[in-house]
Amino acid sequence: MPIGKFLAWLQTFFNGRKQIALGLYGSPNAGKTTVANRIAIDWVGEPVGKVSEIPHETRVVQKKERVSMNVNGRKLTMNLLDMPGIATKVDYRDFLKYGLNTKESQQRAKEATKGIIEAIKWLENVDAALVIMDASEDPYTQVNITILGNLEAKKIPVILVANKIDLSNSKPHLIKEAFPQYPVVEISALKGTNFDRLYEVITQKLH
Amino acid sequence: MADICIEFISTKTLARHSGDKLDYLLGNIRDNKIVVLEDPLNSNEEKELIKETMKYVDSKFTGIEISTLGGEDNGRGSVLIGMLGGKRAGLTVIGPSRLIRQMKKDPNAIHLFARSR
Repeated sequence: MPIGKFLAWLQTFFNGRKQIALGLYGSPNAGKTTVANRIAIDWVGEPVGKVSEIPHETRVVQKKERVSMNVNGRKLTMNLLDMPGIATKVDYRDFLKYGLNTKESQQRAKEATKGIIEAIKWLENVDAALVIMDASEDPYTQVNITILGNLEAKKIPVILVANKIDLSNSKPHLIKEAFPQYPVVEISALKGTNFDRLYEVITQKLH
Repeated sequence: MADICIEFISTKTLARHSGDKLDYLLGNIRDNKIVVLEDPLNSNEEKELIKETMKYVDSKFTGIEISTLGGEDNGRGSVLIGMLGGKRAGLTVIGPSRLIRQMKKDPNAIHLFARSR
């Protein structure tokens, strides 16, 4: 047994609970960091990272280690991995409209491309994934399909999170219709709506 | 108004580029072509293509739009089809994002909106 796995086994043995790497995936601005922050604040009392309306705010993988959940007697300890949003295109000009100057926008675009590569590399290294989707957008995008296809190929358990249900134009049922094979939890990370249900499903499906 | 070039790439041509498939596709896309693949990419190839694409993104080449219809990997069945020289049903459309304004997908169709420069 490799030393890393042995240490993880020891930790699990002595803590009496399972520890997993839980990746938060999705397109830019789906609300991944807002979801990660809610989870981290609820269970360890501090956020994971900064949120912004400007796309690609998260450009490196942000971690919150040893987040322990205990729901209905089911215990789960996880390393929460907030991934950069995965996209097929990055145009620095898109950032100009948010008030960044050309140099800042180009730098952000460069970092965003590296973040996308990093998030993709991590796809093979998570034990489970929350795939966050903006419920006010069309869920049937190639990015979502590619993320889910790769997780499924590796038999990595997935929970779909229909975020932003506080928006009047949100249609979380479209996510259920597009991907009927996955459990879907409807939430608003901004308002903190339905997180109890999310924790139930996480501890139930990933325990 | 500039012309838009759409290149339809056969399974046979892609097979000839099996060792450098992604480079071959990206070369065409960076040459401002929309490519339609007779043999659809699988999820892993799409993932690798996005990763490779990100290495080339700059102010002129801003990335790709991609959509695959069908082409799901059905495990041993698709391996057998491949061994018998067949192809998976479906197609993949890829193009430069500066050229493709929008690509929308439903389970049975791809809607591509391009703009000429």
